Amino acid sequence: MSRGSRAAAAVVAAAALALTACAPSAPEGEGSGDGGATGSGVGPLVVATTTDVVNFNPLIGNSRTDSWVTDLMYPRLLHINEDGEKEAALATDWGYSDDLTGYFEIRDDMSWSDGEPITAEDVAWTLQSVLDDQPAGTLLGQMGAVESVEAVSDTRVELHLSEPDAVVVPEVGFWAVVVPQHVFEPEGSLADFANDAPQADGSWVSAGPYALTEVQRGQSYTMERVEDYPLADDGAPNASEVVFRVYPDVNTELLALESGEVDLVANALPPSQVERLQSADGIEVAEVPGLGYAHLVYNMDEPRLAQVDVRRALAAAVDYDTIREVVLQGQAVSAGSNPLIPVLSQFAPEDAEEYAFDPQAARDLMASAGVDDTSFRLLYNLTDPVMAQAAQLMEEQAAEAGITLELDGRERNAYLAATDAGDYDVYLGNFAIMDDPVTNFRLSYLPGGVINYTHVDDPDLTALVEEAGRQLEVADQVPVMQEAAEIVKDQVYDNIMYTQNLYIAHSDEWSGFVVQPSELLSVVNPVSLANATTAG
Amino acid sequence: MAAPTRPSAQQPSEPSVDPAAEGATVEGVPGAQAAAVPGAPADVEQVAAGGSAARDTWRAFRRQPLGVLSLGVLGVLVAVAVLAPVLADYPSGTGSSVLAPPSAQHWFGTDNLGRDVFAQVVWGSRSSLLVAAGASALAIVLGTAVAVAGAWWPRLDALVGLVVDLVLSLPVLPLMILVAALVGPRTTTIVLVIAAFSWPEVTRVVRSLALTVVRLPYMDAARLLTPSATWIITRHLLPAVTPVVVVSVVLTASRAVLSAAGLAFLGLGDPRSWSWGRVLFEAQQAGAMSSAWWLTLFPSLAILALVLAATLASIAFNDARDPRSRVRR
Amino acid sequence: MPALASFTLRRLARGLVTVWFAVTVTFLLLRLLPGDPALAIASPTMTEETRAAVLERYGLADPLVVQYGRYLLALVQGDLGTSFTQGQPVSSVLLERLPWTLLLTGAALVVTVLVGIPLGVLAAARAGSGLDRLVQGLGVTGQSLFVPSVGVLLLYVLGLQLGWFPIGGAYDRDVYGGEWYLSVLRHLALPALSLALVQLGAYVITLRSTLIEALGEDYCALARAGGIPYRRVLWKHALRNALLPTTTLVGLQLGFLVGGAVLTETVYAYPGVGRGIYEAVTQLDFPVLQGAFVLLAVTVVVANLLTDLVYGLLDPRVRT
Repeated sequence: MSRGSRAAAAVVAAAALALTACAPSAPEGEGSGDGGATGSGVGPLVVATTTDVVNFNPLIGNSRTDSWVTDLMYPRLLHINEDGEKEAALATDWGYSDDLTGYFEIRDDMSWSDGEPITAEDVAWTLQSVLDDQPAGTLLGQMGAVESVEAVSDTRVELHLSEPDAVVVPEVGFWAVVVPQHVFEPEGSLADFANDAPQADGSWVSAGPYALTEVQRGQSYTMERVEDYPLADDGAPNASEVVFRVYPDVNTELLALESGEVDLVANALPPSQVERLQSADGIEVAEVPGLGYAHLVYNMDEPRLAQVDVRRALAAAVDYDTIREVVLQGQAVSAGSNPLIPVLSQFAPEDAEEYAFDPQAARDLMASAGVDDTSFRLLYNLTDPVMAQAAQLMEEQAAEAGITLELDGRERNAYLAATDAGDYDVYLGNFAIMDDPVTNFRLSYLPGGVINYTHVDDPDLTALVEEAGRQLEVADQVPVMQEAAEIVKDQVYDNIMYTQNLYIAHSDEWSGFVVQPSELLSVVNPVSLANATTAG
Repeated sequence: MAAPTRPSAQQPSEPSVDPAAEGATVEGVPGAQAAAVPGAPADVEQVAAGGSAARDTWRAFRRQPLGVLSLGVLGVLVAVAVLAPVLADYPSGTGSSVLAPPSAQHWFGTDNLGRDVFAQVVWGSRSSLLVAAGASALAIVLGTAVAVAGAWWPRLDALVGLVVDLVLSLPVLPLMILVAALVGPRTTTIVLVIAAFSWPEVTRVVRSLALTVVRLPYMDAARLLTPSATWIITRHLLPAVTPVVVVSVVLTASRAVLSAAGLAFLGLGDPRSWSWGRVLFEAQQAGAMSSAWWLTLFPSLAILALVLAATLASIAFNDARDPRSRVRR
Repeated sequence: MPALASFTLRRLARGLVTVWFAVTVTFLLLRLLPGDPALAIASPTMTEETRAAVLERYGLADPLVVQYGRYLLALVQGDLGTSFTQGQPVSSVLLERLPWTLLLTGAALVVTVLVGIPLGVLAAARAGSGLDRLVQGLGVTGQSLFVPSVGVLLLYVLGLQLGWFPIGGAYDRDVYGGEWYLSVLRHLALPALSLALVQLGAYVITLRSTLIEALGEDYCALARAGGIPYRRVLWKHALRNALLPTTTLVGLQLGFLVGGAVLTETVYAYPGVGRGIYEAVTQLDFPVLQGAFVLLAVTVVVANLLTDLVYGLLDPRVRT
C-alpha cells in the first residue's frame, strides 16, 4: 500500500475509532418504549424538519422545531381550534373572578412521566419564574399586566393583575407551556437552564404524549410515548415512538418522504409542490389554515410616508391577486386589507374590500401629494421564499405606477436588525400567529408597541384599542375592534395582504391527525401526533 | 502549512534535485486549481528567452484542439453575457404555465412563477461572469502585488510567506458564508469576499516564480544599471511572472463562479440580479430540484461549461508554454 | 534525534500560531461586522431593557479588548464558552458533529487516493495518449461540478428510484453491532463519493505531472538503462518520489475539505460541523461559530503536523 493511501487510511481509522464510542448497543429487553400503554403500539412515526432543535427549554426556544419537540413534552393550558378560538387543554376553565384577578382551573388527571402529578403548583411556579427570571421568549411579552401568580388549590391558579386586562388570561393560556417544577427549580434561573440532559432513566420528564429519549444533533430526535395522555382519544398515544429527523434541504426532505423513509414533513410545503404531491402515490396532503398574515408596512418616520396619500398610492400599486395566484398558487385568503383577518371569525367584518390594484390611481395620488421622488426601499427577509418572490413581483407592479421599489432583501438576522432599527421605507413581512386581535392591535398600533413597524401614533386609534382591552366579553370587544380596524385600513397604517393556507404532506399509511391552525401547531401538535395511527 | 514539503518558503532558488519536492512547490495547491500551475524552472527558461516566447506559446496552443475548443466555449459564454438583451427578454413578471418542462416555446422550461429559465440562464451569465471577473481581478492585483513585494524586499518575504500559509489554512467557505451573511448579500460584497480569500493562492503561485526570477543574473545586471526599484519591478519582474498570472486569472475566476454559486445556493446571493446560483437557489427553495429537473440541469451545465473550459484552457496554455510537458517516454 | 525534536517543536509553534490566527480572524469578523447577537438570542419583540440584560449576561457589553482577552484565556484552558442560543457548552454542541465530518472527509480522501493513484499512474505512463486526455478530462470535469446539483441527482436516481442508498442522515436507528457499521457505510457512500469526485481531479493531475517529472530524472533513466523494466521503474521508483508532494496535497486539502463540506452536508442531511457552522451563522451564535473555526483550524494543523512528522522521519532533507 502506498504512503498516501496509508496516511489517508489512518485518518479514517481514527475517525472510525471516534465513532465506536457512538455505536449503540442493543436495548436490554424488548418493549422499553411500551411501558404499559394501552394503544396498539404502531411503529415509529418519522417526522422530517429542516432545522435542529436549538433550545430544549420551552420557555426560551422560539424556533419551529423547538416548539414541535417541546410541545410534545410540556403542556399548554389552552389550544386553538380550527376557528381560531381558544379551547381547553391542560386548563378546563379560565377567565376572571374580578377586575384584577384572572384564573385557570386545570385537569386533575394528568401526570409527569416520572409519576408526579401535574398540579396548579407547577403552573404557578412556571409563570412566576418567567416573571422573575425573564427568559427571552415570547411569553414574557404577554404578561405585562401580571404582577404575581399563585396556586390557590391543587387545580386552581390565580393571576394577580396590575390593571384590568381582557386578553391576558387567554393569551397566557395559549403561550405558556408548563414545565415540571421538581425538575426545573433545582436548576436555578429559568433563563439559563438549557434542559439538554435526560434524567437518570434516560428520558426527559414529560407530560406527554411523548418524552425525548435520544438526541443525535444534526440528525435525529427520538421520543418515546408516555403511559397516559388523557387528551388523546384512547387515553394514550398510538405510535410507540415519534422520531424527528433533520433535512436541511427541502428537496432532500421531499425525496425522503417519497421513498418512505419519512412519514410526515412538518414544515409547510413550498406552494408549487402542493399539486404534485396531492397526486403522488402513497402521499396525502393535509390543509392547515393559517393564523397569521403577510403585510406591508409604511414607515411614517419617513416624511413622504407620513402623508396618507402616499401610503394609499403605494397600496394601490400592488397586484394582490397576482401575488396570491402565482407566488402562492392560490393557497391564500385575502384579508380584505383588514387587520381582523377572516380566520378570526368572531371579529372579522363580513364585507371587507381589498385595496384595488390601480396604477393610474397610484400615480394621481402620488402627484396630488406633491411627491416627486417616488423611490422607496423595500425591506424583506431574503430566506423566506414566498416573501422574496412576492417582493420581486411588487417591484415590477410598482414600476407600472411609476414607483420605484428598491429591493432590500436581507438574510434573516440582518433583516430582523433592520426591522428593529426602523431601517426601511416599506417593510414586507409576515406573522405566523396572530391569535388575539386585541393583543395584536396593542403591539402593532399603540405608540411604543414592539411590532409597531409603521411608527403610528394616532390618538383616536389608541383610545379605541385601549377601550377594547377593558372589555372582558368578546362580544363587547367586537364593535370597538372593528371601528379601530377601519381606521387602520382607511389610513393605511398597515396593509394586510392575505393569510396563507398551509399544506402538510404525509404518508397515506398514517391517519387520525388533528389539524390545528398555523404552521406551529398544524398536524404536529401533541393531540394530533398522539392520535395518529397506521390502523384503518 | 506543511512548509517543509514546500521548499518555496525556505530555499526557493535552489534548483531542486528532488523532483518530488519540486512538485510540491509548484503543484501542491489545495482545491480545484491544483491542476494547472506551471513548473518554475521551465518558466525561468521562457522568461530568459524574452518576448518571442509569447508567439511560440500561442503557436503551440493553437495545436491543441482541446485548448482551442475551451477558448471557444469561453468566448461563447462571454458573447452570451454581452448579447443577453438580444437573446432573451429580461426574466420578469409571471407566466401562465408554471414548472413547465422544456418545449419549443420555453427551451429550458419555466420556473415556479412561470418565468422562462432560458432567459434566466442567459441573463445569469452576466452576473456570474461579472463576479468571476471582478473577484479574480482583485485577487490577482492584490496577490501579485504582495508576492512581488515579498520577492523584492526579502525582509518582507518571511511575513508574506507566513500570512499566506495562515490564510490558506482557514476554512474558506464557512468564512465567506459568515461575512456574506453579516454584511448582506450584494454583488459587490460577494466579489470582495471571494477576492479576500482567493489572493493568497495567487500570491503563493506567483511568489515561487518571482523569488526565482529576482535571483537570476539578468536581474542583478538590471540592478547595476538603475537604482529605481519601480523600474526594475515593472519592466522586468512583472513581465517575468505574467504567464503565471494569466493562468491564475482564469483559474481564480472559474473558482469564484463555483464559490458564488455555493453562496447563492445557501441564500447568500444578490436578490436583485440574476445569476446561475440564484436560479439554483430559487429551485431549491421551491423544493423543485428533483421534480423539475430543468431548473437544476441548465444552470449547473452553465457553471460546468465555464469552469471546465477555463481549466482546460489553462492546462493547454501551460502545456504550450512548457515544452517539457510534451510527451516523454 | 535532536534535529527531529527541534523540527517538531518548530512545527508545533507554527501550528499554534495558525490556530491563534484563525481564532483572531473569526473573533474580529464577528465583532466588527454588522449583526446584533442580542436579536438572535432573544425574540425580536423584546424591549430595550431585555436586550441590555441579554447583552450583559453574555458579556457582549464589555469593550472588545476585554472580550478578546477573556476568550483567549478561556480557550487556553480548553473552554470554548457557552452557546448563546442553546445554553449548552460549545464543546458538547460541536464534538458530537466532529466525528462525522472527520469520517466524511476521511472517506473522501481514501476514495481519492485509491482511485487517484492508479488513474494518475495510467495517465503519466501514457502521457499524451487519448487515455491520458480522457483521465485528465474526467478529473477536470469532476472538479467543475456543482455539488448540490450532483447530490440531488444521485439521491433521486440511486436513492429514490433504485433504492440502493438511504436518503439523508448518518446511520439507521434500531440497528446494532456489525449491522450498524454497515448502515454507517451505506449512508456515507453518496456524500463521500460526491466529495471525492470534486477533488479527484486535482489529485490525479498533480500525481501525473510529478510522475512525468520524476520519470525524466536521472535515477529513473539510470534504472531503465540498468535493465529494470519500465513498469517497475514507474510503479516503484518514480511513484515513490511522486507520492510525497501528492500526499502533501492531501494534508493541505483537509482544511479545504472540512470547511468545504457545508454544501455536501446540506444536501445529504449529513450531521457534520460544516452544517453546524451554517446554522450558527443563521442564529448569530458567536461562541459556536468561534468554536467551530477553532476546531477546524486545529484539525488542519494536526493533519499537517502528522504529514510533516511522517516526512521528517522518511526524508531527513526536510528537517533543515
